[in-house]
Amino acid sequence: MTNVADAQPVSGQVEPPARTSIRGLVAQTEVDLRLFGMLLALGAILLTFNVLSGGKFFQPTNMVTLAVQAAGIAVIATGMVLVIVSRNIDLSVGSLVGLIAMTYALLMTDWLPALGIGADFPFRWVIALAVGGALGAAVGALQGFIIAYIGVPSFIVTLGGLLSIRGVVWYLSSGAAVSGLDPTFQLVGGGAQGSLGGTLTWALGIVGCLAVIALMINGRRQRRRFGFPLRPMWAEILIGAVGCIAILGVAAFANANLWPEGLANRVAGEQGWGAAPESGWKIPTGFPYPIILLLGVTLVMTWLATRRRFGRYVYAYGGNPDAAELAGINTRWTILKTYVVMGILCALAAAIASARLNGATLDVGQSYELYVIAAAVVGGTSFAGGIGSIPGAVLGAFVMQSLAYGLSFMGVNSPGQNVVAGIVLILAVGFDTFNRRRGGGR
Amino acid sequence: MGMRKLAAIVGMATMVVAACGGGAATSAPSAGGASVAPSAGASAGASSSAAAGGDCTVGVSWNNFQQPRWAAHDQPNIKDTVEAGGGTYIDADANLSNEQQLTDVDTLISKGAKVLVLLAQDNKAILPALQKAKDAGIPVIAYDRLIEDPDILYITFDNVLVGKAEAQAILDKVPTGNYVLIKGDPGDPNAATFLPQGWDEAGLKAKVDSGDIKLLNGPDGTFTDAWKTEKAQSNMEAIIDKAVADGNKIDAILAENDSTALGVVGALTSKSYGFPPLSGQDGDPANLNNVALGKQYVDVFKNANELGKAAGAAALALCANPDLASLTLPDGLLDPTVAPTAGLAAKAFTTPGGTSVQSFILQPTPLTAENLQVAVDAGQISKEDLCKGVDAATAPPACK
Repeated sequence: MTNVADAQPVSGQVEPPARTSIRGLVAQTEVDLRLFGMLLALGAILLTFNVLSGGKFFQPTNMVTLAVQAAGIAVIATGMVLVIVSRNIDLSVGSLVGLIAMTYALLMTDWLPALGIGADFPFRWVIALAVGGALGAAVGALQGFIIAYIGVPSFIVTLGGLLSIRGVVWYLSSGAAVSGLDPTFQLVGGGAQGSLGGTLTWALGIVGCLAVIALMINGRRQRRRFGFPLRPMWAEILIGAVGCIAILGVAAFANANLWPEGLANRVAGEQGWGAAPESGWKIPTGFPYPIILLLGVTLVMTWLATRRRFGRYVYAYGGNPDAAELAGINTRWTILKTYVVMGILCALAAAIASARLNGATLDVGQSYELYVIAAAVVGGTSFAGGIGSIPGAVLGAFVMQSLAYGLSFMGVNSPGQNVVAGIVLILAVGFDTFNRRRGGGR
Repeated sequence: MGMRKLAAIVGMATMVVAACGGGAATSAPSAGGASVAPSAGASAGASSSAAAGGDCTVGVSWNNFQQPRWAAHDQPNIKDTVEAGGGTYIDADANLSNEQQLTDVDTLISKGAKVLVLLAQDNKAILPALQKAKDAGIPVIAYDRLIEDPDILYITFDNVLVGKAEAQAILDKVPTGNYVLIKGDPGDPNAATFLPQGWDEAGLKAKVDSGDIKLLNGPDGTFTDAWKTEKAQSNMEAIIDKAVADGNKIDAILAENDSTALGVVGALTSKSYGFPPLSGQDGDPANLNNVALGKQYVDVFKNANELGKAAGAAALALCANPDLASLTLPDGLLDPTVAPTAGLAAKAFTTPGGTSVQSFILQPTPLTAENLQVAVDAGQISKEDLCKGVDAATAPPACK
C-alpha cells in the first residue's frame, strides 16, 4: 500500500498568501507569540541582572541554582494550569507539599527503620516516593470529590485543605524539624552529585535535537496528508535549527558547570580514582535531576493536555461548562482527576524540596500556592477558564524565580523582592489582558 | 415530624448536654489554632473552673504555640510549677495573629485569671490587652518577649546575651576572615535589634570597623521572611553563588536561630561548599544533630524548662502579693548556671524603648560539640537522635 503521506498534495490544498512584511514572515513561522514573548522577557531579565552584576550573574553554576530553585514550583504549576483552565482553584498545594515532605522525612528516619527496612535497603527512596504519591493522590481525590460531586466551591474546599493539612503536619512531628534522609533520595534535590553528568547530558541534548527535527518532519507530513496549509520550507528549517541549537546550547551550558574541586578530590579519594590531573578534575555536572524531573513532568502534562481526552475535556469544560456537560462529557470525573493530578505533582515537588533540605520542617511549602498560581497566570492561563498553556506556566515559574534569585544575588532583601514580584505579576498579566482585548487572540 | 423540627430538637439537646457536661477546658481553642498539650491526658486534669487547688488561676497567652519548644518545655514547666503550688493553669494560642491575641487575653480574663503570662506577638499591638489587664487589677508577666510598659514583670533569656554567646563562639574560632550574616524576620525586634546588638557586643562591630572581618552580604546581612528554613536556603544559595563569583571564600556564618541555620546547612550541602563554622539558637534536635555531625559549630541553648519554672513561681508569688518590687524566686528552683546573674530578687531592666521594668534575666548555654551532653541531660534531645549518622571516629564526647 502506498504511503499516503508521500502522495501528491490533495488538489484542494491551500497555500497561504505570500507576505513579505516582518509581521507576515513571523506569522508564517506560526510561532506562539505569547510563549516567545515570555522567552524574550526571561532573556531580558537575565541580561539586565548580568549587566547590573558586572557579568557575574550569567554563570553556569548560578543558572543551575536558579533552575533548581524554580523546579518545585514549576512542577506544580503544570497541574495548576489544568485546574485554573477548568474554572477552579487549588489553594492547598503548599500545605500538601509540607505534609508529604514531612511524610518522606519521617518514613526514612523513623517509620521504615521501625519496620526493619534500614538504611542499607537500596530502594527506600522508591518506597518513599510511592507512599508520597499515593498520599498526594488520595488527598487530591478527597478534595476533588468534595468539589466535583458534592459541589462545594473549590476556593472553600482547598482553603480548608490549606488550613487543616498544615495543622496535620504539626501533629506528625510535634512541630520539630526532621532531618537525615536516605543518601539516594537526596540526589533528587540536585547538587553536583544529583546531576546527570557530562555524557548523559550531551546524549539528552542530542536526543532532544533529533526529537525536534522528527517532530517538524512529522508535523509537515501530517499537514500534507490532511490538506492543511504547509509552513514555508525556510520557516521549518529555521525553527528546527533554532530549536536544535537552543537545546544543544543549554546542554553545553549545563556541562560548563563543574564539580567543586574539593568535592571531586574527596570522592576521588573515596572511590580510588587515582591522582588528579594537573588542571584539576573539572568534572561537568550536567543537568540536575530536579530539572530532568521537571522536563519529564512538562512533557507528560503537555501530552495529557493536548493529546488525551482528559486534557481536551478539561479545556472544553473550561471554555463552556454547560456545553461540555450537555455534550456528554463526564465533567465531575474530569474535575476530580485534575485534583488527583495536582496531588501527585505536589508529591514530586515535595520530593525535590525535602531532598534539597535533607529533611523537612514545619513550614516547607508555605506560600507555594501563591507562587504556583502566579506562575500559571504569568504563563498565560486565564481565570475566566478555557485558556492556558503548560509550557507557558513553566516559563512563568522561571521568570518569577529569576527575579527572586537575581534580586537575592544583588543583595536585595526579602521585602524588596516581594515588592518587585508583586509589581511584575500585575504588569505581566495586565499586558497579556491588554493584548488579548486589542488583538482578539485565542 | 418534619426534618427541620427533628434537627432543632437534636440541636437543642446537644447544647443542653454540652452545657451540663464540661467545665472550662484547659485550652481555649481559638479560630486560628488551639494550643495542644502534647500529653493529652494531662490537659484533662486540674483545670475546670471549679478549681482543684487554691484560687490562683494563671492565664498564659501563647503567640505561636506551633513552634515545638513551647509545648515541649515551657508549657509543662509553667503548668507543673503552678499546679504544684496549688494554682490553676489555663491558656490560649494566638497563632501569630495580633487580633487573635487580644481576643485571647479577653477570654483568659473572663475565665478568672488572677495573673497573666503574655508572649506578645507584637510588643506595641499588645498594649490594649495590657491596659485591660491593668484595669482589671491583674499583674502581667511578659514571658520571653518584651512588652514596653513599666508595670510588667519581664522574664526572659536575655536575647542580647544569646547573640553575644553566638558571636563569641564563632569569633573565637574564626577571628578574621569573610563573614556572612543571616538574620530572621525583619519585623521581629529580636532579629533586627537584640541579637545583632549581642553580636556587636561580642566584638563583631569592632572587627568589621578595623577590617579584620569582611561582611560578604552587606552591613545589615540578609533577613529571612518569617524565619523560614526554605527561604534561608534560597538566600544562602544566592550568597554562595555571589561569593564564588566574586572569588571570596566564606570563612564563617552567623545565623540568628536554628530554623535559618538549618536552611544554611541545606544550601551549603546542595552547593557542596563544605561547612564553615555556623551559629544558631534554640537547640532544635535537627540542629543539635548537625552540631554532632560537624555541620553546625554552636547552638545557643536556652533551657526553657528553667524559664517555665521561673514564670510559674513568679506567677504564684504575684497571686499572693502583687508587689513587683519585693518579688523573689524561691531558692533552689533554678539551675545555678541558668539563674539570673543578678540574683533571685527581681531587678530593674531598661528596655530599648527606655522603659524600666522589673525582670528576671536568665543565662543561655552555648552548646558546641564538646558539651552536647547538657542538651541530653535537659531532656532536649535523646542520645539516639543526637548521634544519628555520626561517624564513630569523629564523634563528639556526648556520642561516645
